[in-house]
Amino acid sequence: MATTSIIIFALFLCAFGGFVAYDLVTAKRRKEVYRIKSSVTAYLMLLPAVALAFLFILLPILYSLGYAFTDYYLLQPDKINFVFLENFAGIFKEISAKGMLYNAIKNTVTFVIGVVPLQIGLALLLALFVNRPGIGSKIFKVCFFAPVVISLSITAFLWEQILAPGEGGLLNSMLSIFGVPPHDWLRDPATAMPCIIVLSAWQGCGYQMLIFLSGLSNIRKDLYEAASLDGANWWHQFWNVTWVGLRSTVVYILITVFIGACRILTQPMLMTGYMEHTVTLSYYMYNSGYSERLVGESSAVALLMTIFIGGITLIQRRLFREK
Amino acid sequence: MKRFLTSIISMLLAIVMLFSMVACGDNGDGGNNDTPTVDAEGNTIIKIMFHVDKSSTEGQAYQKRISAFNAAYKDQKIKAQAVFKARSAGASGYETELQNNQLEGTLADIITFDAPNTAAYASSGLLYDISELISAEEQDKFYSLNKYNGKLYGLPIQESSAGFFYNKKIFRDAGIDVSGYTAENPWTMDQFKSVCARLKQFGVTAVDMRIDATKDETAPYLLYPFIYAAGGSFVSDDGFTASGYYNSSETAKGFQFIKDLITSGYTSYAIGATDFFTGKVGMYLSSGWTIPDLDNKYREYFSSRDDWGLLPYPKGVEAASATGSWSYAITNNHHSDKTATLELLKWMTSAESSEAITTATGMIPARKDVVKEYAPGSPEYTLLKQLELSGRERPVTVAYPTFSTTFNQVIFGLENGNVTDLLNSATNTLQDAIDKIKNRG
Repeated sequence: MATTSIIIFALFLCAFGGFVAYDLVTAKRRKEVYRIKSSVTAYLMLLPAVALAFLFILLPILYSLGYAFTDYYLLQPDKINFVFLENFAGIFKEISAKGMLYNAIKNTVTFVIGVVPLQIGLALLLALFVNRPGIGSKIFKVCFFAPVVISLSITAFLWEQILAPGEGGLLNSMLSIFGVPPHDWLRDPATAMPCIIVLSAWQGCGYQMLIFLSGLSNIRKDLYEAASLDGANWWHQFWNVTWVGLRSTVVYILITVFIGACRILTQPMLMTGYMEHTVTLSYYMYNSGYSERLVGESSAVALLMTIFIGGITLIQRRLFREK
Repeated sequence: MKRFLTSIISMLLAIVMLFSMVACGDNGDGGNNDTPTVDAEGNTIIKIMFHVDKSSTEGQAYQKRISAFNAAYKDQKIKAQAVFKARSAGASGYETELQNNQLEGTLADIITFDAPNTAAYASSGLLYDISELISAEEQDKFYSLNKYNGKLYGLPIQESSAGFFYNKKIFRDAGIDVSGYTAENPWTMDQFKSVCARLKQFGVTAVDMRIDATKDETAPYLLYPFIYAAGGSFVSDDGFTASGYYNSSETAKGFQFIKDLITSGYTSYAIGATDFFTGKVGMYLSSGWTIPDLDNKYREYFSSRDDWGLLPYPKGVEAASATGSWSYAITNNHHSDKTATLELLKWMTSAESSEAITTATGMIPARKDVVKEYAPGSPEYTLLKQLELSGRERPVTVAYPTFSTTFNQVIFGLENGNVTDLLNSATNTLQDAIDKIKNRG
């Protein structure tokens, strides 16, 4: 362990030193005025942040990348063999056999398709609703933001009580007033994922609402006045002024909600357990890496997932970039 | 100049910080030494890691036994040091701690571990083989042992058993007499179904089989005896083959029995967590930990033990009941001299320790020579007798977590799924997991 730590640290210092040297050389080539003392000072100031980012962000990613090509078993950390693409072959085999990983991908895609528009739509609606002066709007802001502050595990537990099967469940007892028979919402494959989507959108939209509010405050009021003078109705004002003004905010929210949705873990873990109809990619990785202790296989899935999310995010950025 | 000096200082701080963080796993007791740590007073320090919080009743009982050990071994210069790592994030959280310690070379000399993990831990080299260190005579004193491939790797701290708690008032009102069903003379699966039918006829939910408890180990722990009772099994004796065992026709019969209870309306997934305790359900499958709840928490419905009782597991082609709890094991932590460690293990598994710990936890002693005077017919007596007569351990396999997951999935899918299809799928998943670990060598 000590040797590994020293090698990692040495590599980091080499990379950092190399970057500094490269900067010095290119500056000389460009014949720029280069004050070595100022430059070194700047780099040294940068060092703590770079060191932390390296240690807590880059290093785990590099480790995970490396483990994806090994048969790392958590109980035998001193016996790791390089297996090249064996883990990836296993992944594709499991997907083609429609195993648990296939279900995890299917459920994650369903969740993302469901939660991204719902959560963003709800957040925008709430932001438009509370973006008015007055004490009432402040109260609503607090109310809508409250679920964000509550721990996801507590939220999941509360919704489990709401969705509890039998007549004891809150939702079932309410529906029984209208003669609807009790339903097992979280066991039924047709209703479990929609329930998790609704709960997740409800829990998360308050945060996006605040970002939308910030975006709304940046839209000049005179644009609305001008639109109003031109005879634009509410919808025209929204579409031609508000939506255009929120474009960059929407892109940011879309990307962050999408990435967050792809990583869903807590809700299915606490509400249904490791079941075919609600397992997600993150849950699959957790189960594979921690419960089954197959870190190599779990890392291979993580690598593919990172590539997939990164690819989609790039496409999103390209589609929504400013023209 | 001042800015330059500041930057130099910040660089030095960054280096120190980075070094301290990356090397934090390498401090401690020098995990690579061959002998246990010796303190300034010349005491050999033996570390023992527990899975509970120090302030809990169980934690305090462990601490008392450790203090007594230190007093008794003062002259031999052996000192035990307890480390408490509560399972705040569930059993996997404690296991992660173990794995981190293993990686860092800071494993305690003795650890506590959940019995079903014996195969995985032993096969990976985490546990030390104590077959030769514990005499056969001493081994015979335990109800169960943590064995893998014929070798002994651990000794249980305490034991557990489960059964059917029943509401005597409901049974009386429904005219059902179950007084003849005891641990020595358990009821049959048909008799069990017959009682369920009469309870249903009486207008109550017959039994809470805990088929909804499929998010953790609860359902596997409580329901696996039904499969053994039906003559089924899960894996081969060596633990490496699931095909032909997990999906055998006998195993299917066991699961079919549970499915029949669901389809007949005797049990369901929708039974509330407190329905039995509030008099809405006739029977409740649970372990000994429910006894204090019935004695103290639900006095409105169960004012005394005249209002509730405990029935054993029903028998099929054989009798089988749930067992298993946490155990002690000596670790392979590079301390090759295990003399002092063995002394501590023997102390913690002695009759005196077993008595003290089970008195605190209310569980069944792991040793046969710890005599607990339970009144015949009492719930505690039923659990103890059942453990003696029909206790069967959960399957011993290196891929136990996968077994547990697949068992839960089978139970989850029983209502609408075909038992054979569910078992074939579970078998393939388990076999695949076993093969992956086995093929590593």
